[in-house]
Amino acid sequence: MRLTMRGKVGVLGAGLGLLVGALPALAHHSFAAEYDEKKPVKVTGTVRKVEWTNPHSRMYLDVKDANGTVTVWNFEFGSPNHLFRAGWTRNTVKEGDQITVEGYAAKDGSHLAQTRLVTLADGKKVPGFAGGGDSGGAPTQ
Amino acid sequence: MRTHFARWIIIASALGISAWAQQPATGGASAPAGRGKGRGPAAPTGPTPRLADGKPDFNGVWNGGPSSQDISLALMTGEQIVMTPAAEKLMQGRRPKDDPEANCLPAGVPRMAPYPWRIVQQGTHLFILFEANIHSFRQIFIDGRQHTPEANRWPSWYGDSIGTWDGDTLVVDTVGFNDRFWFDAKGHPHTDQLHTIERYTRKDLGNLVVETTIIDPGAYAKPFKISYTARFAAKDELMEYICAENNQDVSHISSPTGLP
Repeated sequence: MRLTMRGKVGVLGAGLGLLVGALPALAHHSFAAEYDEKKPVKVTGTVRKVEWTNPHSRMYLDVKDANGTVTVWNFEFGSPNHLFRAGWTRNTVKEGDQITVEGYAAKDGSHLAQTRLVTLADGKKVPGFAGGGDSGGAPTQ
Repeated sequence: MRTHFARWIIIASALGISAWAQQPATGGASAPAGRGKGRGPAAPTGPTPRLADGKPDFNGVWNGGPSSQDISLALMTGEQIVMTPAAEKLMQGRRPKDDPEANCLPAGVPRMAPYPWRIVQQGTHLFILFEANIHSFRQIFIDGRQHTPEANRWPSWYGDSIGTWDGDTLVVDTVGFNDRFWFDAKGHPHTDQLHTIERYTRKDLGNLVVETTIIDPGAYAKPFKISYTARFAAKDELMEYICAENNQDVSHISSPTGLP
């Protein structure tokens, strides 16, 4: 996967200037004040609960480790407004779905992370923080 | 640090925006993603629409605003932000968790959250309805009246706004602000002496240019001007956004301001 990613970076590098317009929108708080870019997270688990709420949608995942211990992760997504404008529906992720979520963990060490990419039960990959629609794009960097 | 982030942007864009955004939500944007500057799709083209009285018609849903993260990014050419020592000290002491906007309070003027907003323009009033943040509105009197007398108003988040026409430009003069909102996430401050003069010009169907002069001798040694161009979102509709319903962020925020 990592190699694939690098491949994409190479191919798309020239288009970066245009793609910056699609930066995730952080409407009301700073990314770096809450999350740590040096703490990437990638977990697979079962969706315990979905909250279609503002200022952020949230999905809570039961993540089982090798010993069978379950940890509940709280993944922050874009607001429902952003997600729905980007093509999400209420059926994109449902409680009980097995999904893989990638993002960045909170600085304070809690099981909280801001989502970047979701691999759905059917293997489709969707951005979890896409600006989408008309409303994406507050610079976060 | 940036490498990680850039990679995500690229992946999200490659996997997401191109393929995923093909299914517009009901009431959502369906204009193709374009190369418009800043937020969202490119603007539609065509002449400036006009009302029956010949004035430019600003009605509709718009996207755009000065950076909510750093107002200095919207400075017009040659403009500078020169803070008083007291304002500088106030800003240095601010922390992101205390940003009123992050706490679901209004963004004030001229700050705008990166969400659509709608102008409702009537004969006597012009309203700016914000989807976020917060789900609120500004009221601008365009019936020729003067400002509400000082004794009859109290310091407020959006101030007391009157609009007059300068040709095809609507000039919105606002006073009577409180000192509580921040101009951006960096914490650029102001006092209750704040006076803003906004010039709204619909250049064509798709573009609304907004130039704002910020005058506040309590916090800035001289006035400064910012500008942005809002884009018309012909097919979008505002959605509900109740910020306080599930705002978990502030309890996890700890870093100094100045971070993006």
